[in-house]
Amino acid sequence: MKKVVFVLLVLGLVLSACGAPAAAPPQGDSGSALRVGWLGFPDTLNPAYAFLTESYTMFDLVYSTLTTEAPSGEYVGLLAETWSVSEDGLVWTFNLRPNIKWHNGEALTAEQVAWNINAFITNSDGWVTNYSYIIGFVEARALDERTLEIELEYPISNMEFRVAFLYIVYPKDFEGFTTPEDLQNFANFSPIGTGPFKISTLDKDRRVIILDANPDYFDGRAKLGQLVYQTFDNSDALIQALKVGDVDFAAEVPTSAFKTVETFEGVTAVSISGRSLSELILNSAPDDHDPAPNRNPAITDPAVRLAIATAINKQDLVDVVLQGQGVPGVGIIPPTLGGGFWFNSNLTDVQFSLDEANRILEEAGYVMGTDGVRAKDDLRLEFRLQFPSDSSNYPRAADMIANWLNQVGIKATPAAVDPDSLVVATNPNADYDLVIWGWGSDPDPDFMLSVMTSEQYEEGGWSDSGYSNPAYDELFAQQQMTLDENERQKIVWEMQEMLFNDRPYIVLWYDDVLQAYRSDRFTGFIEYPTGIDAFQSLMNVEPVQ
Amino acid sequence: MSRRDYLLRKFLFSLLTIFVVLVINFMLFRVLPGDPVRSVIGRNVRISAEMQASLREQFGLDKPVFPDQFFATLQQWAGGNLGVSWSLRQPVAEVLMSKLGNTLLLIGLGQVLSIVFGVALGLFAGWKRKTSFDVGSLTFSLIAWATPTFWLGIILLAAGSTWLGLPTGGIVSPQNVGKPLYTVLPDLARHLVLPTLTMTILYLGEYMLIMRSSILEVLSEDYILTAKAKGMSHWQVLWRHGLKNAMLPIVTMIALNLGFTVSGAIYIETVFSYDGLGKLFHTALVRQDYPLLQGAFLLLAVSVIVANMLADILYTTLDPRVKAN
Repeated sequence: MKKVVFVLLVLGLVLSACGAPAAAPPQGDSGSALRVGWLGFPDTLNPAYAFLTESYTMFDLVYSTLTTEAPSGEYVGLLAETWSVSEDGLVWTFNLRPNIKWHNGEALTAEQVAWNINAFITNSDGWVTNYSYIIGFVEARALDERTLEIELEYPISNMEFRVAFLYIVYPKDFEGFTTPEDLQNFANFSPIGTGPFKISTLDKDRRVIILDANPDYFDGRAKLGQLVYQTFDNSDALIQALKVGDVDFAAEVPTSAFKTVETFEGVTAVSISGRSLSELILNSAPDDHDPAPNRNPAITDPAVRLAIATAINKQDLVDVVLQGQGVPGVGIIPPTLGGGFWFNSNLTDVQFSLDEANRILEEAGYVMGTDGVRAKDDLRLEFRLQFPSDSSNYPRAADMIANWLNQVGIKATPAAVDPDSLVVATNPNADYDLVIWGWGSDPDPDFMLSVMTSEQYEEGGWSDSGYSNPAYDELFAQQQMTLDENERQKIVWEMQEMLFNDRPYIVLWYDDVLQAYRSDRFTGFIEYPTGIDAFQSLMNVEPVQ
Repeated sequence: MSRRDYLLRKFLFSLLTIFVVLVINFMLFRVLPGDPVRSVIGRNVRISAEMQASLREQFGLDKPVFPDQFFATLQQWAGGNLGVSWSLRQPVAEVLMSKLGNTLLLIGLGQVLSIVFGVALGLFAGWKRKTSFDVGSLTFSLIAWATPTFWLGIILLAAGSTWLGLPTGGIVSPQNVGKPLYTVLPDLARHLVLPTLTMTILYLGEYMLIMRSSILEVLSEDYILTAKAKGMSHWQVLWRHGLKNAMLPIVTMIALNLGFTVSGAIYIETVFSYDGLGKLFHTALVRQDYPLLQGAFLLLAVSVIVANMLADILYTTLDPRVKAN
């Protein structure tokens, strides 16, 4: 009998729920809560050990950095008001803004910022995610309450960018840990920062984060009262939520849904040039690499590489795979970096022409066989064309590329491969011919360029092509230490040209960031290369009057 | 053999099974291709090769799998410690427990409803064989059973959120997070309607079909004829002699389902953004988070084994023949 009562109770509950009133927007400053739907949740909120982009979205809202990137690609002060570098480039002095307060009301001091930077330097095994940004730092010192000095081992050309990635945390929260493991096991779900928003609720089991505007923010209070982040596990549900008004902002719109979202009433869909690229990787590992490269040696022939590049219609890829939401790729540096400053605009891509590709191969001595595959002696133009299985765009792209290559006598066999296996296949095993993959670039060109250096082709390094060129490595080191921006630009452009001609990558496209919001409720979004949900943009968002 | 000895033997055998599962899992995850450190960090460009080496050392991955890693893990388990997840940096037991509650709520509700409706439908369909009710419910069950979870979920999500104003995802509305669940029951129920409905429809067919064939078999037995001859009413025959005997295969079915459903209904969780164990298992696998994977599979193994043990015990009560043996 008890069971029957229980079942009836549950049934009653379920049925009554259907009639309950729709949920009201969360109460904050009346009506000024922006409800964001996104497709992830931060792994931790500890800047020492966070890998998911969602964590960094939170860091940007809660913490501050010395500098930050403006929409133009220039670096402007955030915690720092002004800064200067010594003649020899070895000492940087940052003057902090007045009246910066932590979320608990305490004033921020240069001493605390120095503590942060010194912790990153001395305990780099603990602060693993900051390591790349403090290489070459010697020590930080507070000269007074508001003046900070950072001493370097050698001049660093992208110092303003580097410090824009170092989140300044509240020292007392992070002081007590003795081992790197202890420090990293600290989830930091109630962070104290100096940023424009502070976390009021974080529920990792319901996957909801609520942030309140920080009334004491040094750059003025955000126009919104609250930000509410809710996690969706699939993009169809997120888009549906936006459509029915369960959320006000969709942080990610899938390419396939973009055109549909554009037709929603009261919704504005935006497409912004981002910082990601997708490329075709051509096995370029040196012959003496250990283990020995396992590939069709024909892939190292410059004529074959040029023919492949000529046989790919990048505009078609953008139109079909990205539904037009992107631009054809040329060099390894996306055109958005530094507002276009770092993108070598002198590079002209090879023209797509199947006839020309056929001609190149013919001239190089690859004769068309009866089976439609070209060969030179016993070198048949037959390649594996692999791509990571977690991508929704690459299967289509692989099919299109294989089809074009087929028309010029190159047989490419597309295959989806689990991403972990693909990492190992590319680096260190060099066991592949062609791979389609992509990158999300840093705003500074340094990282993307580093991917092609010889020293990155080792276990744990980021090189996947195996490209190795001493002249390139030399230029890479040079650009890292060239303080004059225009000088550095010349080097960066030259490096792009080198890569373009040697073709370890054929860059296929630069894809757009696709987002959408309820424009019947909110306005004031600003476009940043990371999206219209950059913290500076969210500061400016307000309800429609 | 007394009943106590029987249960004791079952229990000891279960413990042994769990241990064997643990050891096999330990080996299984380690022969997966790829590098766990690379999987944990994803393509996060902030982590240099040096720092990956540092993490590899911290995780003990720089040592050989056998004997070092194996005995270190055994020692940890022996102390009742499942370790700390590499990707979430929280104790594995804590992570599993927090998701287990969510999963049990959804699965439990879905299973109870599908069992109740499935068994009832099957029973009446079998009883009223070859009537339009039988044909109708049989058709419905077959379709429901064959429907892809993801498709049904998405359709219900679109329809429910558009026409009934039901939520598009989550367990409670954002303004109700942090509050104990019993204080926000109406909101919770609103969020549970669609996933529970999906789950009920999907499992109902299975229970209905089994119950129907089981009851048909029982109804053709001689003792049913005897019972009818004694002048018992249809209902008495069905209730007292039919149902109890026809329940045996259903109990096995339920036990099997309950054991495996702890692994979560990953499709339902994904469609309705419901944060349960299924998604967690998936994340653990994708990120090659060994401690979390091992903990998750231990939980799965334990629940399958416990469910089977419960079914065995229930059998001794339901079926006198099992007791006799």
